[in-house]
Amino acid sequence: MSTIQRKEIFESKWQAALLVLPTLTVLAVFLYYPFVQTIDLALQETQLLGNAEYVGLSNFEQLLTSDRYRNSLWVTTWFAVLTVSGSLLVSTYLAFLIHETVRGSSWYLIAAIWPYALPMAVAGSILNFIFHPELGIFTNVLEVLFGVSLNWHVDGTQAFLLVSAATIWKGIGYNVIFLVAALGLVPESLDEAAKLDGIGRTQRLVRIYLPLISPTLVFLLIINSIRSFFGGFSLVDIMTGGGPNEATNLLIFNLYQDSFTYNQFGLGSAQSIVLFLVVSVLMYVQLKKVEKFAYYG
Amino acid sequence: MSKPTVTSDSAQSDPSTVRDFLSVPPWVTVHVPLFVLVTLSLSPIVLAVLMSTQSTVEIYQVFNLAPGSEGLSNYDTVLTEYDFLTYIPNTFVMASIIVTGEVTFSLLAALALVYYDFPYKNVVFVAILLTLMLPFPVRIVPLYNLVTDLGWGNSVLGLSGPYVASATSVFLLRQHFRAIPDSILETAKLDGVGPLKFLVYVLIPMSKGILAGVVVINFISAWNKYLWPLIIVSDRQKQVVQVGIAYIQGTADAGLTQWGIIMAGSVLALIPPLVILVAFHRPIIRTLGIQAN
Amino acid sequence: MTRIELDGLVKEFDSLTAIDGVSLTIEDGEFLVLVGPSGCGKSTLMRTIAGLETPTEGDVVLDGTAVTDWEPKDRNVAMVFQNYALYPHMTARRNMTFGMNSVGSFTDEEIDRRVEETADILDIADLLDRKPAELSGGEKQRVAMGRALLRDPDVFLLDEPLSNLDAKLRDQMRAELQQLHKEIGTTTVYVTHDQTEAMTLGQRVAVMNDGEIQQVDSPQTLYDFPNTQFAAEFVGSPAMNVVPVLVEHAGDRWFATHEQFRVPLPSGEGLAERQFAMGVRPEDLHVVGESQHESAHIDGTVKVTEPQGDALLVHCRVGNDTLRVLTDSRASYEIGDSIGVNVDDRRVHLFDPDDGRTVYHSEGQQARTEAILE
Repeated sequence: MSTIQRKEIFESKWQAALLVLPTLTVLAVFLYYPFVQTIDLALQETQLLGNAEYVGLSNFEQLLTSDRYRNSLWVTTWFAVLTVSGSLLVSTYLAFLIHETVRGSSWYLIAAIWPYALPMAVAGSILNFIFHPELGIFTNVLEVLFGVSLNWHVDGTQAFLLVSAATIWKGIGYNVIFLVAALGLVPESLDEAAKLDGIGRTQRLVRIYLPLISPTLVFLLIINSIRSFFGGFSLVDIMTGGGPNEATNLLIFNLYQDSFTYNQFGLGSAQSIVLFLVVSVLMYVQLKKVEKFAYYG
Repeated sequence: MSKPTVTSDSAQSDPSTVRDFLSVPPWVTVHVPLFVLVTLSLSPIVLAVLMSTQSTVEIYQVFNLAPGSEGLSNYDTVLTEYDFLTYIPNTFVMASIIVTGEVTFSLLAALALVYYDFPYKNVVFVAILLTLMLPFPVRIVPLYNLVTDLGWGNSVLGLSGPYVASATSVFLLRQHFRAIPDSILETAKLDGVGPLKFLVYVLIPMSKGILAGVVVINFISAWNKYLWPLIIVSDRQKQVVQVGIAYIQGTADAGLTQWGIIMAGSVLALIPPLVILVAFHRPIIRTLGIQAN
Repeated sequence: MTRIELDGLVKEFDSLTAIDGVSLTIEDGEFLVLVGPSGCGKSTLMRTIAGLETPTEGDVVLDGTAVTDWEPKDRNVAMVFQNYALYPHMTARRNMTFGMNSVGSFTDEEIDRRVEETADILDIADLLDRKPAELSGGEKQRVAMGRALLRDPDVFLLDEPLSNLDAKLRDQMRAELQQLHKEIGTTTVYVTHDQTEAMTLGQRVAVMNDGEIQQVDSPQTLYDFPNTQFAAEFVGSPAMNVVPVLVEHAGDRWFATHEQFRVPLPSGEGLAERQFAMGVRPEDLHVVGESQHESAHIDGTVKVTEPQGDALLVHCRVGNDTLRVLTDSRASYEIGDSIGVNVDDRRVHLFDPDDGRTVYHSEGQQARTEAILE
């Protein structure tokens, strides 16, 4: 029937208001209000004793001219590029392999997605140990097998790569969940047709699956990017403290230090605004993506 | 038994050998890399579990991978001397308040957004969704000021309060409610079933899967919180388990690092979310799947 | 026991008019079937009676009381849906009783007693503790019926209740529904898109199209004397043949003349020299040699034949038109065969090509014809 059926079976307006009130209150008090405050604070210079004065955009000027902050932007950008591409590549390969298995696939699935539950503080402390420059088992294995000697307590690049690797490790859990689901939606007949034509596994992944799961890949690209700009704090805090030589000084860590170690709330809030701009751009891209892929339903 | 029978039997039981006799058998290209990747991903945890039973001396013998002589005594130390016996219940309380509040509030909001007709409904929904643009780091400083001004610093209220509502949960439940057939709603309407009765006896039982997913996803994320507890709680007795790990590291760094104890703490902090993930992986996968579309 | 009056109902959804001025009285204890193609407004009409839709204009009157603004729960109507609308997490018993406490007019003991009675009537006593997933389609249908019956409603509303069942079960349930109605005698409105179902079930059948009721009559009257070309073509299977004709007056006789043949009409006062659409049902056409009553002769060519089991449907090309002719099931025709067809001229209908209204039934409807022409 072409009648327009409506789901609104209840009419009382005050009941509706009462029902949305708790959520709206919490969001207004703990999300909207602090965000407005962030904007306000970002325009002030705050001192230790709680005195503050409006200084216009000088916090932003200070950030842009600060070598430390520019380095942090640079480090975070590299961190994002490396962890997002690394995690998506490994996850896609892993998800495809799971999709291809018939026997034991649900065990592989659990074994692949478990890092979704992994607390980053735990990841950090375990990696601290197994990659310890002298005591670490992985350090010693790498030395024996490949002659690589790890010294990431001193070597900034090594520390950066290790933190990135840990982030990729953690990201696999989340990504594989989505990718396995997306692969499962690809019509089996397409895959069977390709198999009948004798097309190999890699070719099927590249020519059939990747184009068809591209909406999911784009979604994950955005989500992973947002996470790479906003996450990573606990790893850095536990593993490197932003060092050595600020090689792992991510924006979020820098923000934390300026705000809560040096009590520069105005400067910290200005950094929050920078992060907000990042998330705005990524969300905008996400919305554009929704329009573009709307046809896939 | 005659020979031809044997041949046809073996062909039937393993047809892939016929098709792929020229190339490598499929398990080599699928199961071998899968096994390697999965092992690589699991090995740190396995090592952590092993090392958590070793004494400091055994740990300094790098390639000694046998279960150690300490047994569970490192765990005992972590729980008692390093206060994990306090941190773990603290974390459970925080996570439970967050999950309970979030699920309750989101259920009520989704009930209103789907089944009520009220003015500015779309405005309300958009206002809820837009909070996705405001992740924690973009409001960290004022949130800290606000919560301390409320007198909630160093308390479970301060830890959980800001997280008891969530746009994602409202969105997921709303999507699910909208998929319930109209005729079910109309049957309820013909009978004059009231909103709370409808919620408790119809909606919630019909949403068990997604509710399980929402609960578990939010529990894991609450359990794993680190930055907010680190900022808002300075009294160690009120702290949560993830920051507790950082505390042992800080203390243990003073002398000869007691890695066995740090590993025991890490394993303890990992067990609850891991067990929940394994037990509830199906609802988690299904619930996250709604988000992607 | 309730008499339903619908008075000038209009229902508009934004730009779409779902019901376009419907007035209809359903008598106390009557079984009325609303039939029409999908999108014709029949379900909206039923939902308006239930109170699930509020009409844009007009009134719903139950037993002399206007209930247009009443909540559904206050109207004491029960509805059965096409997809049964059973709560998946409740047992059959709970499905039937859930919501009854909301109405508040039954005590718990009364509900228990009524469940047993209803379950006996519908033969579902053994199923009461099962959940919908453990029931077959027909069993779900019975539970949904039971839920409605249990409430002792003043009006039963059934929205395509048999459409999800397979053909055999549908026939069986149809007979049971009729039996049930005979026993309880509650005023019933039944919506379906299936004209066969409508004809077999209804005491009266209301044919709807484009939001309007075309005709309300007993099944046989509807079949024999359709008011409009739409009703004529919608009711009956295989459907009525409709071809363009010109009415001519030759001497003292009247003819409906097609480019290939002409059919004598008993009368044609006021119709002469006008174009009409002529309708003849397939069973009122006979292949020459089969019928006693042979009056007109049409030459045609066999285009397609469709065996129906009890009869053979021959599609026969006549000029630019095709006539469907029902004939003996054992007859054998090859495609391209030439055949002669006779028309039973007592069973011819003429429709106004502009508004689709019937202007003429050749059988005994002179008075009616003239009234329409006024």
